[in-house]
Amino acid sequence: MIDLEFIINTVSLGSLYALLSLGLVFVYGILKLVNFAYGEYIMVAGYAMHVIGQNRGIPWYVTMAVAVLFAAVVSYGTELVAFRPVRTKSLTAMLVTSFAVSVFLQNVVLITISPRARAVPLPAFFSQTLTLGTATIPVRNLVIIGTTIVLLIGLTFVMKRTVLGIAMRAAADKFTTTRLMGVPANLVISATFIISGLLAGVVAIFWVGRSASVDPLIGAAPLLIAFIATVMGGMHSQIGAVIGGFVYGLLFNILSIMLPATMISYRDAFMFVIVILFLLFRPEGIWRGGYTEERVG
Amino acid sequence: MKRLAGLLVIVLMLALVVPGCGTTDEEPTGGEVSGEEIIIGAALCQTGIQAPLDEPALRGAQLAVDDLNAAGGILGKKVKLVAMDGKSDPVTVGNVAKQLVEQGAAAIIAPSDFDFGGPASREAQNAGLVGISPCASSPLYGSAALGDKQFTMSMWNTTMGAVTAEYAYNEKGWRTVYVITDDFIDYTKSLSRYFIIHFESLGGEVFFEDTYTQGQADVSAQLARIKALPEQPDFIYISSYMPDLALMIRTLRESGVTQPVVGGDAYDDPGLFEALGEQYGSDVYFDTHGFLSDEANPEYSGWAERYEAKFGDAPDAVWIMPGYDVVMLLAEAMEIAGTTDGAEVAKAMEENTFELFTGTLEWSDAASGHEPNKAAAMVELVGGVPNFLGWVIPDSIPAP
Repeated sequence: MIDLEFIINTVSLGSLYALLSLGLVFVYGILKLVNFAYGEYIMVAGYAMHVIGQNRGIPWYVTMAVAVLFAAVVSYGTELVAFRPVRTKSLTAMLVTSFAVSVFLQNVVLITISPRARAVPLPAFFSQTLTLGTATIPVRNLVIIGTTIVLLIGLTFVMKRTVLGIAMRAAADKFTTTRLMGVPANLVISATFIISGLLAGVVAIFWVGRSASVDPLIGAAPLLIAFIATVMGGMHSQIGAVIGGFVYGLLFNILSIMLPATMISYRDAFMFVIVILFLLFRPEGIWRGGYTEERVG
Repeated sequence: MKRLAGLLVIVLMLALVVPGCGTTDEEPTGGEVSGEEIIIGAALCQTGIQAPLDEPALRGAQLAVDDLNAAGGILGKKVKLVAMDGKSDPVTVGNVAKQLVEQGAAAIIAPSDFDFGGPASREAQNAGLVGISPCASSPLYGSAALGDKQFTMSMWNTTMGAVTAEYAYNEKGWRTVYVITDDFIDYTKSLSRYFIIHFESLGGEVFFEDTYTQGQADVSAQLARIKALPEQPDFIYISSYMPDLALMIRTLRESGVTQPVVGGDAYDDPGLFEALGEQYGSDVYFDTHGFLSDEANPEYSGWAERYEAKFGDAPDAVWIMPGYDVVMLLAEAMEIAGTTDGAEVAKAMEENTFELFTGTLEWSDAASGHEPNKAAAMVELVGGVPNFLGWVIPDSIPAP
């Protein structure tokens, strides 16, 4: 069963989950906030593709670029409107705010568009498959892998070589000290939300690309995956999130082919058991991050 | 560490709770209020996971009330539809139904699912009123489980499973099937069960009964098992629903599984047709409650025009029709009974045959469960476009 098809599909699933986890961890790293509205950034990008896609004249790459930017704008918008006012309050206030944002965004599309799933037009190559020997592989899976490699290289460059990236890494380590050194908190946090939103937008293209449809509750599943993957990989570092994403993809696919059909419904239960084992025996995750201080506003 | 564990618990709990949250509340709809009127209460779910079925039905019901009032109302009185959001939460649905009863509703329209609609019907039964669900297809939805004044206008899953089984075996000559059942809700499980019972009783062979759970967003395991079969099945029966249904069919097609895909009324979703598109939207067969064309209903065009005049868009999904039919049927039953009294209306519903947009309908009496005898519309997808194959009543129906 471990053939080329399995390997490519697993790497592509892992890539998708890695991007997904990375978007969640960016915000967690600095604000220590698990942003439960993260799934909704994916949803709004999906709806952006649906709405723009109504106009058949617009090329697919424009649609996708606008969708990704839209997710980033919404993410930034929620930071400005919802998270910034409560940032100096308790972590619980932030957490509850993120739930509120999530429910709010879901209901906005539910009321303004439809509670039913809507179709998202996709470029033809998204639905094509390649045959390599005995393996049938959707072209989309190869595109995911390529996109992930490019994005990871790009993000590494931003984080290591640019002033903004260095400020973000410093803020993730010791936020108070970073501010004392003259780094504006608002700038760093806004940048974090924008990057998180961009990643959600990219994930949305591929997540929606599998079913070619989007519905108001589409964000729930990716949020849960991102959360579990980051717990496994390590919540305190971006490397941990990427590792967690790939480990999740690998475990998921292995369980898929190893479990007998009668047990397949319990695949998620197995995943949760693994998470609980991590929390018990290696709470810092696979990749141990550096020292981090408690959250400060 | 503790924080993480705590967070995880919160996530898991919210995963269960959040879909139930939503907007509120009461909105009187359709029909002007003036003097004496007959109130029909709609305890439908306008938000949450049940909304895709119930929200279009509510629009249909609103249109029906307009049509009724334009033609003089029921028993000479104006009709008023009062809709309150059941929010896809069975407890809320029950409470909302109770409030509607208190507001003087003469009948209750219940959500289109046994789990969500049952509580509304129980409240209606307690108040001695007729409760009717536009589309609940569980064989549990009837007088046996809910009371002698409770009905569903939908065919039961027994019929829905039997129609496609007979179509596949008799019309298409297919003999072997691979079944994938979404085990998330009762509807999908019972539909598969009756399809399998009927297909096997005809002489067909089920290669394997596979499962899937809504929300998993991945069918690679099922795909691998189909590909590993020593002999490929003639067709694949998938009992699931949107949004994951589109993902399942697309994944199978993308990976080179070309056999016809067959299923039930959950396929009847323009979102699915578009998601499959020209490329994958062929060789898909399903049975459903109606079809948006003059071919299936000669009066369709006029109805669609009135709908468009009211809501601004052409009817987008067949699920509007059952909502329309439910109100028209209640009106007809009340006219026959000559009263809005629950027992009399229920009797009229048991004793008469109704010609509806969603097919000809008769119910068995309360002692035999209010089993609906209704034709199903058989539909085929060709290049992403639904094509009406005809109204079908199965030769025999498996026992519930």
